[in-house]
Amino acid sequence: MIGGAGFKLSHLQAMLLFALFVSMAFGFLSRRQPLERFKYIVWSLLLFLLVGVGIGWAMYPFSR
Amino acid sequence: MTEETTAQAAPQQYSQREKIAFIIGIAGWLLPGLGHALLKMWGRAVACFLLVGLLVFFGAGMRGNLFSSNGSDAFDSLGYLADLGTGTFYLLARTLEKSGPDVSHAGGDYGTRFLATAGVLNLLAALHAYEAARGRKA
Repeated sequence: MIGGAGFKLSHLQAMLLFALFVSMAFGFLSRRQPLERFKYIVWSLLLFLLVGVGIGWAMYPFSR
Repeated sequence: MTEETTAQAAPQQYSQREKIAFIIGIAGWLLPGLGHALLKMWGRAVACFLLVGLLVFFGAGMRGNLFSSNGSDAFDSLGYLADLGTGTFYLLARTLEKSGPDVSHAGGDYGTRFLATAGVLNLLAALHAYEAARGRKA
């Protein structure tokens, strides 16, 4: 159904998508009020990205 | 007399509630969002369905590894359990991934994580629906 090559996403795009989907799932499951949900999703997304980029930089010295 | 009847009815009601909650949990696992839909939690139902579906769609599209039951080591078995967490979407992922997995590039590796995460998130959602049906939390 999906072509042989599949989607071509960069590391950053894949990480952004992953963080967005998981943050939204967490937000919808753990908060009831729309505003609280939105805040939770944004906060969770930012933390995902911060930790992801942080771990990426922490691994940089060992990359070669 | 009334008190005795009430005392007898309480465990029956509890048992009935447990049964319904279990069925709701299983339904939520089989079809993402169905557990919440049965509880009339429409927002959560739609969110679970779409988010798990999107993770499976992108995971399969990036040619992630969809584990099967005949794995060779513990990681394969754990991966299979995680993938199975998506319920019927596991079969959907198999249908979508016509060319098979390709983890020789980063995209395929990300795809594997997407698929496993979709399963684990769906299990979390099914457990949430089960707990909500038991009246524990919502």
